[in-house]
Amino acid sequence: MAATTTKAKFFRQADLTSSGRPVLLPSEVECQLLTSVDLEPEEDRSHLFSALKSGVLILTTHRLIWLPPSASATAAYAIPLAAISHIFSPKKSIKSMFHSPRIRFQVLTDTDGQVFDLGSSSGSSSVVVTAVIRGKGDSDGFLGKFSECWKGREWETAVSSDSNRGSGSSTGGGLYGSDGAVRMVGVAGILRKEQEMWESTDKSLQEAFQDLNALMSKAKEMVMLAEKMRQKLLSGTNTSAANDEEMGSKEEMQDWLLSVGIISPVTKETAGALYHQQLSRQLADFIRIPLEKAGGMINLIDVYCLFNRARGTELISPEDLLQACSLWEKFDVPVMLRKFDSGVMVIQNKSHSDEEVFARIIALVSKPEALRNGISASDAARTLEIAPAMAKEHLLTAESKGLLCRDISPDGFRFYINLFPEIDPSDVYLIKDYGIYSTWIKAISTCHGAEVSRTS
Amino acid sequence: MKEQLATFRSQLEEFARKHRNDIRKNPAFRSQFHEMCAKVGVDPLASNKGLWAELLGIGDFYYELGVQIVEICLATRPHNGGLINLQELCNLLRQKRKHDREAVSEDDCLRAISKLKVMGSGFEVITAGKKKLVRSVPTELKKDHNEILELAQAQGFVAVDEVERRLSWTLGRAIDALDTLLDEGLAMIDDGHEDGKRRYWFPCVSSISSVGADS
Repeated sequence: MAATTTKAKFFRQADLTSSGRPVLLPSEVECQLLTSVDLEPEEDRSHLFSALKSGVLILTTHRLIWLPPSASATAAYAIPLAAISHIFSPKKSIKSMFHSPRIRFQVLTDTDGQVFDLGSSSGSSSVVVTAVIRGKGDSDGFLGKFSECWKGREWETAVSSDSNRGSGSSTGGGLYGSDGAVRMVGVAGILRKEQEMWESTDKSLQEAFQDLNALMSKAKEMVMLAEKMRQKLLSGTNTSAANDEEMGSKEEMQDWLLSVGIISPVTKETAGALYHQQLSRQLADFIRIPLEKAGGMINLIDVYCLFNRARGTELISPEDLLQACSLWEKFDVPVMLRKFDSGVMVIQNKSHSDEEVFARIIALVSKPEALRNGISASDAARTLEIAPAMAKEHLLTAESKGLLCRDISPDGFRFYINLFPEIDPSDVYLIKDYGIYSTWIKAISTCHGAEVSRTS
Repeated sequence: MKEQLATFRSQLEEFARKHRNDIRKNPAFRSQFHEMCAKVGVDPLASNKGLWAELLGIGDFYYELGVQIVEICLATRPHNGGLINLQELCNLLRQKRKHDREAVSEDDCLRAISKLKVMGSGFEVITAGKKKLVRSVPTELKKDHNEILELAQAQGFVAVDEVERRLSWTLGRAIDALDTLLDEGLAMIDDGHEDGKRRYWFPCVSSISSVGADS
């Protein structure tokens, strides 16, 4: 008994005809229904109403009506759509795949716990109601229709004609202003605005997702076909025949694979897709001038930015760039791709020789100043006229060749000339009169000498 | 084979006609699209010559994003040593792209960065605790360094004894890791505190958005 009173208190009464169908309000139209639906309050608000089990949920343009399962019911329960302040979008999770679908929405209530209505005072609190759909109906479709009807606001056409007659002041702080439009007030207003934005994207998105699914299944077919092609390509390279016809069709296959989104490895015999071949030549031409300006070596990422900025539109992807550069070894171009131990990749002039750079570094590091204090990457960069990052790479390479030694101190990372080769292991104290060792000693004793004379 | 391609192409064209804008405007849909492509085994961003890029036009979006990310990392490198908070990167990116119509999500940034990775300059996304950091220099960041970065997230700095205590390391190990981070320019020293304890600050984990004002 207490249960029935609570229910009656929360919901609005919905009258039924003698055959058990709901009596519709003027201009109210039925939109959709679902069977075996439970209506549950949120967990800590179960005092408002106890859950309604296994009824028929009917969506109309004005209300949500819940019909009890028993055939002899004389009344049903309704929630006016006007009292709903928010419809939650469905949470898709692993859990939700195994549970019955749920539709959650927020309902405004007034102070004595009854569902808010236009005539009464404004909704002072709200409760979240969950409709658990245990039947086989289309819950996604229902949700879509639910949102549509809720947004459609059919009940307002009656309201606006009434309130137009009234004066400017609205009843209390109701949701509706005097012109019948929904006032975007308070949290409910903000939620509604957000909901509306999601609604408009939601609908077109549902269609988009369906289309996406269809497209993807076709794409899968293509991928499988492409895999077969790729196998053919790979096995084809094992044969020694390399006549033009075969090359042509291989190129075609490469192009085909590329257009589907699969980058094939550049094998020794094939020249890669035509696109990359052309890009490769274009890149070699483009890079000539920047390379000169940069002292013969540019970081690959900088090339990516430079080239794309110059292009403006129809940009190239990082992989396009890599493919194009790796094709250079097949053509006779004056540039090459080089990879350092640290993983940094650069484009450099073929004429750029490491030996020349090392000679310049050694000259730099043999100066008296450098013998005393060593050089840093920025010092080298300034002298060699290249970027500091490139200079560091050169110094590290020189070190790995045994030309330099590093010194890590609070002052930072510095490099000195490697004197160890000058030291004779059998006579450690021998200093030849010529050579870098004696120069070094002279260089450092001058400064020590100066100190000594000051203190004595 | 050619017929298959033609059929696929027309299907893709149809899809593009209807949903090209959805992909551009809606980051959630875009991210879903990428996930599905990955499941199927295609890479829509592999080449700008591919059908995907040609018909949906998303190639340019991501490559351009890549260029902008590189520029931002370069501009902030003097400040943070080549390690930047992903959120900060996205904020700076949005500021830079104020005039573009398309919204950029963190997922978009991550995809653009994963493409930049192939070029070898050390672009990578590292997770330190709750935050994601974007590395743009080929510095090797070992596990020890990551743990210090995680620790630093609380206040933006750490002290040596804190590292020893919280991570149960020896003094040598703590100092070694901190000094490496210092050398690489990722940390800054603060000796000015009253208690004389040296603090190591990490610009990349604290949310300093004043950098945006400079660039």
